[in-house]
Amino acid sequence: MDHIDPEHHDGTSDATPGGEINQRRPGELVFAAFLVLASIGLLHSAYGIENPFGPNGLSAPRSIPLAATFAMVVSAAIVLFKTAKLPLDRAETLAKDILPPMVLLFALMLVIYGALMQPLGFLPTSGLFLFIAIKLLAKRSLLWTATVSLGSLIVIWLIFRIVFSVLMPAGIVPEAEFIQFFRDLTNGGSTS
Amino acid sequence: MSAFADFLIVFTQPQLLLLVGLGTFAGVYVGAIPGLSVTMAVSILISFTFSWDVYPAISLMIGIYMGGVYGGSRTAILLNIPGAPSAIATALDGYPMAKRGEAGTAIGVTTVMSFIGGFVGIGVLALAAPLVSDFALKFQPRDYMLLAILGILLVGSLSQGSLVKGIFAGALGITIGAVGRDPLTFAERFTFDFQLLEGGISFIAVMIGMFGVSEALLQLHHVDKDAVRQKISRIVPSLSTVKKHLPLSLQTSTIGVTIGALPGTGGDIAALMAYDHAKRVTKNPSRPFGDGAMEGLVAPETANNAAVGGAFIPMMTLGIPGDAVTAIMIGALFIHGLNPGPMLMIDQPDMFWFIVGCLVLANFFMVFFGLTGIRLFTKIVEMPRSVLIPLILLLSIVGAYAVNNAITDVYWMLGFGIFGYFMRHYGYPLGPVILGVILSRLLDDNWRRAIISEREDLGRFFEGIFSSPLSLVLFISVILIFVSQTPVWGWAKARIFKSRKSA
Amino acid sequence: MKQIILGALSALALTATTAVAEYPEKEIQGIIQWGAGGSTDTVMRSVTPHAEAAFGGTVVMQNMTGAVGAIALNHVAGSTADGYTLLMGAENPMLYKVMGLGDKDYSEFVPISILARGTAVLVAHPDAPFNDYAEMIAYVQANPGEVKFGSTGPGGLPSVVNAMIGAVEGELDVTSVPYDGDGPALTGLQGGAIDVMPAVLGAAIEGIRAGNMKVLAIMDTEANAQLPDAPYVTQFNDGYSTYLPWGPFFGVFVPKGTPDDVIATLSDAYATGAQHPDFVQLMQDRGFSLMAISGDEADAFLTKWQQGTAWLLQDAGLTKASPEEFGIARPGE
Repeated sequence: MDHIDPEHHDGTSDATPGGEINQRRPGELVFAAFLVLASIGLLHSAYGIENPFGPNGLSAPRSIPLAATFAMVVSAAIVLFKTAKLPLDRAETLAKDILPPMVLLFALMLVIYGALMQPLGFLPTSGLFLFIAIKLLAKRSLLWTATVSLGSLIVIWLIFRIVFSVLMPAGIVPEAEFIQFFRDLTNGGSTS
Repeated sequence: MSAFADFLIVFTQPQLLLLVGLGTFAGVYVGAIPGLSVTMAVSILISFTFSWDVYPAISLMIGIYMGGVYGGSRTAILLNIPGAPSAIATALDGYPMAKRGEAGTAIGVTTVMSFIGGFVGIGVLALAAPLVSDFALKFQPRDYMLLAILGILLVGSLSQGSLVKGIFAGALGITIGAVGRDPLTFAERFTFDFQLLEGGISFIAVMIGMFGVSEALLQLHHVDKDAVRQKISRIVPSLSTVKKHLPLSLQTSTIGVTIGALPGTGGDIAALMAYDHAKRVTKNPSRPFGDGAMEGLVAPETANNAAVGGAFIPMMTLGIPGDAVTAIMIGALFIHGLNPGPMLMIDQPDMFWFIVGCLVLANFFMVFFGLTGIRLFTKIVEMPRSVLIPLILLLSIVGAYAVNNAITDVYWMLGFGIFGYFMRHYGYPLGPVILGVILSRLLDDNWRRAIISEREDLGRFFEGIFSSPLSLVLFISVILIFVSQTPVWGWAKARIFKSRKSA
Repeated sequence: MKQIILGALSALALTATTAVAEYPEKEIQGIIQWGAGGSTDTVMRSVTPHAEAAFGGTVVMQNMTGAVGAIALNHVAGSTADGYTLLMGAENPMLYKVMGLGDKDYSEFVPISILARGTAVLVAHPDAPFNDYAEMIAYVQANPGEVKFGSTGPGGLPSVVNAMIGAVEGELDVTSVPYDGDGPALTGLQGGAIDVMPAVLGAAIEGIRAGNMKVLAIMDTEANAQLPDAPYVTQFNDGYSTYLPWGPFFGVFVPKGTPDDVIATLSDAYATGAQHPDFVQLMQDRGFSLMAISGDEADAFLTKWQQGTAWLLQDAGLTKASPEEFGIARPGE
């Protein structure tokens, strides 16, 4: 194991990024082109930054963004040019090596999670997410999956909500009332 | 000799001793979970310790601080997910070691090196605090700007694949850091008229997304592969290993203290600069950097723990925070009826020596907890991936939310997670993105301060650089590093060589 | 005290709707507009535990930063007006409208308590070639553009003080170097990056005591109890008495529409909390004037503050929109 996962080059460590030196991976050219377009868009946006309280001189709020997005456009263009010259890696396919169904499914689940978190609340959304995700990956019994996901959810909730008082969106769960109930219990039943 | 007595207070009172221990223990775990930051923990402790005396309150906070800075390395090594920004550089070589089953060795070295770094920081704080803070105050906006440029040049050593892709990633980071209302003029930058974007993008959210979510998504490729068995027989590094790395660790500790003592820069920048330094001075690393070089662990870990002592220097001597955590501690001292400021050292020298005592104690506890809890931690990596991956994703979400209690940060985190996934696949390094985001404000604000101070006159600006020894040293370093890292150097060498040949 | 409030509460409960009968029946969120470790954060985290003790509730405080506090303001304004979400903020929102930073300010809120007010002070680097306010004005006039003033962005305390100086002495030609807060700016001052900084007294007081910076003038009409020997600005020019006393303030707010009995409970709690000796001591040490006002008194204070400050900035040409557009009347009209 001299270099990590030599057969796939999938960048399992940041210091050894994926990608191949002499070949182009499926989708790489599209990604490079996307970066060039996005950089141009950002450069345009940076140019539009106006100093609301003074002239647009060297000290204007636009100067550093302009420089940074310009560097993005130039470097992205060089990357695109270099990538286009490389031969395509025929051994790999987009569906198998870059975006297998499982990754697509998880990405989709994350998007749904983001959409549901606010209205439904943190606890039900996360419970559902953990349950489905673990069931999909582990292929174990329903009871096992439910125990593992519920158990870890409770631990995470205790750490973040109780110890660190991070108020995650409550949604449909009357979390605060629930906590107050326990607080009252520990305070010797005082109702105030 | 009263200084020594104050120094010993924390060692002689069992209650304080216990609190430092408890704090350090909690800190290691707080630091290890991405999204739970020491800053958060300490600010919650303000309300929690409100009715306590000042000594116990400070003991607990210092324990958490010391443990937390160290704890970030754990998840960086084991999961490739830095628990805190100051551990980004640790992941670069720590994770490759864990992939070889050497997580135990990596954690052992990290712990001992953090300990050494911590001591250098505390030593400088105890012996030379007024000197260092005088030096730190000398930094003018243009010096901070040059420092930021120096930091940006680290892109070269953080991007092992392709330099151009690294430059792109760094510039992207600077751009991400500029999103939102500009704090100096309130101009909207890259907000596209969305109110959501006015607050900017939290760099912790970017970090969690790029390292946490994208890593979890990549791991989906081999859910069924067995986890690497970790050898944890030999944890404490041998004396010869420590001796071998001692010169490097002293150099990088110095970097850590200095960067930590500068108001406005902290352990995150220190660790990255130290990593770069290690790459520069190490002729024969144990393995190539990025493949699990021991030197790549030594440098950032000594630096970020040395930065803790450094951050206390301006706090204790001037009442100026050295980083976000010391800023909150200053608030805590106020609430407890002290007046942190230049007079604190004169009015209440006991506080200074008490804090030094707490730091020393916390440093010892850190080694203790660092070396004992390894078995439990390595169990985490050996957990089935089918459970680990969903948990990493959920923790990433909660962590991103916790930074600023904003659901927007969760969206950004997810977005950058998916983007980071593609970047990894196509060989774009992620480190420079985070580097860019960290340095964006430092560069932007100070460039503008510097040029406004010179009334927008570039001539006067350079005059200022050449007339100040500090600026001149920084400026020359920038030029040298730039030349040595870019093709210009090779090109120039080739030219000189050629002309000699023809002559 | 707790008994009295409890008594009052249960009495209210008989007459009010049952939904709020037992306020607070769950924990309350306190959204702090500024980051951990700042002045607002310190003030709120030190007064709230005393207020909690006074009314038996739990307030969970969170920092929500960004866009000069507008993110937190919009968050609380958009929450249900049931008294379970409090905004803990400073004076800035009063200028959002004229500064083009947002379309909401404290007029969407009911003040629970305006806790304290700060005093501005002009400080300079100890080696600056002037020792008091009058010498500074003379020096600036003799060396246009050479004196560097620290600032904290449009609408911040330094910009208001500068506008005041401009209104009284006529336009001064100084270079304003922007910082993101008075803490970093005062650090810059001590390192010589800027020469003069208009800051809130609390932030500068320790540096002044240690001789790391010198007071040019306290922006007030009388000597300050914390620095009795320091000159105050009306000693040099009586023109300032039109605008003074002026200073940034801290307050706790709930959205408009919150039931009156909830407001009463919270106001009483914070009024009691603010009188706690520890808090009084903290405010004194940091050079803040304790106010702890609520109800009509607080409304009147807010209106007067906004009118005075918004028009001062308008006249100095620092605003993006005229206060007139938002129905903010010129003071004295």
